[in-house]
Amino acid sequence: MKRNSRRSLTMIAATALALTVAACGGGGLAGGGGGEKLTFLSWSGEEIMAPVVADFEAKHPDIDVEVSYAPPVAEYIQALQTRVLSGTAPDVFVIAAENKTNLIEGKHVVDLSGEPWMSAIPEFNKKTYGKDGAVYGASTSTWGAGVAYNKELLAKVGAKTVPATWEEFLDLCRKLKAAGVKPYLEDLSQMPTIVSSFVGAHNAAQDFTMDQKIFSGTTSFEKEWTKPLTEFNKLYAEGLGDANAVGLTSDQVFDEFANGRVAMITSGPWNVAPLKKAAPDMQFAIAPVPAAPGGEPFLAGAASPGYAINAKSDKVNQAKTFIEYLVSQEGVQKFQKLSNDITVTKDYQPVLDPSLKSIVKDVRAGNVYLPMIAWTRSEDVLNVEAVAQIQQMVKGTVTPQEAAAALDRKLASS
Amino acid sequence: MALTATGTTPPAETSTTRAVRTRPPRSSGWRGPSASQLFLVPIVAVFVVLFLIPLAQSVYWSFTDFTGYSADVNFVGLANYGTILRDPSMLAGLAFTLLFAVGTTLLVTVIAIPLAVLLNKHFAGRNFVRSALFFPAIPSMAVLGLVWSYILSPIASGALNTMLENLLGLGPVPWLSEDSLARMSVILVGVWGAAGWHAVLYLAYLQSIPADLHEVATIDGASALQQFRHITLPMLTPGIIVSQFLLMTGGLKVFDLPYTLTKGGPGFATYTITQSIITSGVGQGRYGLASALAVLFTLAVAVLSIGQLIISRRVERNIL
Amino acid sequence: MNTARRTALSVVMIGLACLVALPLYYIVVNTFKTQAEMVASPIGLPPSFSLDNYVRVFENVPLLQSFANTLYVTVVGVVVQVVIGAMAAYGMIMRATTFNRILGLVLVLGFVVPAQSTLIPLYRMLVGVELVDSLNGLVIMYSAGAIFCFFLIQGYMRTVPFEVIEAAMLDGAGVVQIFWRIVLPLIRPILVTVSVFQTMWVWNDFIIPNVFLSSPDKRTIVLQVYTTVGEFRTDWPSFMTLSVIALLPMVVFFVFTQRHIVSGLLAGSVKG
Repeated sequence: MKRNSRRSLTMIAATALALTVAACGGGGLAGGGGGEKLTFLSWSGEEIMAPVVADFEAKHPDIDVEVSYAPPVAEYIQALQTRVLSGTAPDVFVIAAENKTNLIEGKHVVDLSGEPWMSAIPEFNKKTYGKDGAVYGASTSTWGAGVAYNKELLAKVGAKTVPATWEEFLDLCRKLKAAGVKPYLEDLSQMPTIVSSFVGAHNAAQDFTMDQKIFSGTTSFEKEWTKPLTEFNKLYAEGLGDANAVGLTSDQVFDEFANGRVAMITSGPWNVAPLKKAAPDMQFAIAPVPAAPGGEPFLAGAASPGYAINAKSDKVNQAKTFIEYLVSQEGVQKFQKLSNDITVTKDYQPVLDPSLKSIVKDVRAGNVYLPMIAWTRSEDVLNVEAVAQIQQMVKGTVTPQEAAAALDRKLASS
Repeated sequence: MALTATGTTPPAETSTTRAVRTRPPRSSGWRGPSASQLFLVPIVAVFVVLFLIPLAQSVYWSFTDFTGYSADVNFVGLANYGTILRDPSMLAGLAFTLLFAVGTTLLVTVIAIPLAVLLNKHFAGRNFVRSALFFPAIPSMAVLGLVWSYILSPIASGALNTMLENLLGLGPVPWLSEDSLARMSVILVGVWGAAGWHAVLYLAYLQSIPADLHEVATIDGASALQQFRHITLPMLTPGIIVSQFLLMTGGLKVFDLPYTLTKGGPGFATYTITQSIITSGVGQGRYGLASALAVLFTLAVAVLSIGQLIISRRVERNIL
Repeated sequence: MNTARRTALSVVMIGLACLVALPLYYIVVNTFKTQAEMVASPIGLPPSFSLDNYVRVFENVPLLQSFANTLYVTVVGVVVQVVIGAMAAYGMIMRATTFNRILGLVLVLGFVVPAQSTLIPLYRMLVGVELVDSLNGLVIMYSAGAIFCFFLIQGYMRTVPFEVIEAAMLDGAGVVQIFWRIVLPLIRPILVTVSVFQTMWVWNDFIIPNVFLSSPDKRTIVLQVYTTVGEFRTDWPSFMTLSVIALLPMVVFFVFTQRHIVSGLLAGSVKG
């Protein structure tokens, strides 16, 4: 008996070794394109990036791209951070909101502003991943989120679309509620889309100087944020939104919408394809967030993470060839078809779903706002605090003014 | 019963007393051949290389403004420690971490011991039951957290809420969106995840109780409860110490369960220290601060768990 | 115990087991659904059992290679940990000196250090010895689990009847002989238990491979599961399907080994 189990263990170990040896051998053969090896840590998943890279390799047989993946956001940032510090970072990786300050200040990324192909990328995206005129990331798309609405449910109370002003929006919610339809749901485990939009519109009205002024101390979160938060909180103070949403994930919010159990949710373009799969018959569209008093309809959003080159790479030229392809018309087209992103490069007009019609123009023009990206320091610290404060505000334990003031305290102490 | 007597008095060598006196008499400082000291070399190597050196590195970084991105750092003294002590979210994190660790330790122990005793009996389907109870220890927390977030979804369409509505006509219960309910839900899911495998751990200890011990006791007329108190419990004591220690340290370090279920919310209700270390070190590039937090945390847990070990060894000596 | 009580116990325990394992049902049942069916009814049975998710995963993911990688890391990693842990527990029992007792307490620190805070120093260390992005590097990382094994095994060794060791020493057996011939068989239940726990950990671990591995051909099976996670949305049907495929060997492994946990060798040797 004892002998038996020991033998079977030895056999398992031997099989494991044999399989591994076989596997390694196989890997070596498959990678044999004969070209120089360029390493790349992809932000997009394999089903999107693998075909794009294959197309690039077909066009550039002298370069072999070895792609690895880490799921965004935290795991990607962590894997990259560890490798950058130890000098084992890949030749090409992605610069994102979460790591841009550290990557740029640590001089870990190559300035791309002089490259001719960078001209395809709009100013908004260059500015997001740039500093003092230099540009460190080639960001080829922008995401924007607004309010997705179920046309059939809105029709029950005679509405055709999401109204343009906040007062009308609240009215619509009241009517829906009276008609027995759950009006609105959102995922409150992150910065609410509506808050970002309100603050964004408010910032736009001040010529995009609001955050600068907050961070230089000439104004404060309390002065600038109390009003947008108060307007947003009307949803919850009146019971039009569901305060239980603080315990929901974005997937659950999506499911509620896909099942026709709620008329409106906040959403970006990433939900369109899954929604068509999950609810093929549903009529829906995405509209900008209605205008708060004194503002314009606006969108939450940001430039997507940009492709960056490792400053310590010894294959900078090959890396540039690769990124040049990624921002080229054919590279973007290939990527866009698989990812459904709203790409922004000037020489390619993405073919997008009609449900995005009313937000595409603003997104491509960069009329979007995300507090975390606009803030100039302690971004994540403030964001964590803001989300926690908003959750408490929605449940009625703190007032909008107290929530805004808490951000000032956080900024002062960090 | 003679069972409570220790090995100091020389009783008639019955099978019962002999089996219970298993510990080497500690006070006499048992020393085997010195060659056996070499058996400790590998673990010391593991400890030094994989724990001590990295920890020393963290201590050094805790006094710097290290971002985690470049190795040239500035010395900032105790600034990081000051930042931590002034931060209210850290206190919230500390409170829930303690609640979770103590709550799961107590509940799992209370559930796992009787469970192990039952699993040690013969009944139809025992193998199936053992496997099923162990199951929560198998999948990753990402999968389990997702499953539970659907079950405990606080809106009316959540699985548990639908069931309550259909069976009892209750309105939606805000499992994950109300502070105390969210804390309770996270702790109970933690208990669900750990109780089965701690029962299996106890089961291994129950196996070390010779079957004839119970037979003799039954012939002596001892009731089931008496047997549990005087035979099972003393034999389980080393197991209890191990299990509680693992639960306590595991509970204090918990991260993925609250994170996948509630992301630390609502507000900071289920925020944990480890979440705080990870967000500041990775998400915020404040590695020096994260290191300071890790150092303070390590010290606190070390004091707590060594204290727990010492106390439980005392208790053990009194029971045996 | 009479038959009636035994039946009652059976019924209660099986009921409890089903309740505890309910989430397993949820995971498995969703692998047979399309995304639409999963969204429409995450808990219910699928209208028709479709194997599409499995077919898609088998077609797109190099499962064999990932399993080979995982198997290698798990088998070697767990054997190393358990051997180091058992040796230490034995050494500690054989020589209960004050120094060793303090050492035992210091080792406890190994539990206490949060893993996340040592990742960067450890990574840099492995870069130094060129073991980053290698399966053997992972094995080294996992040998940290030896402290856990040591702690569990040491606790269990306190239940070992010491007379057996004493008798063997009087018979002139050497330290290694006693360890191999007497102690290891005596503590088999805990060795199996510890191996099972550590196997579950190593097999399922995501954090360490995610940071330490970068070549696609070295990916472990759990890393494959996470390739389905996106920034804004996760492909849950694929995620669940890959999770089930990754779990299956573990379930088989546990069902196979759990009877060894309770093989009751100890009682026999005491009587002998």
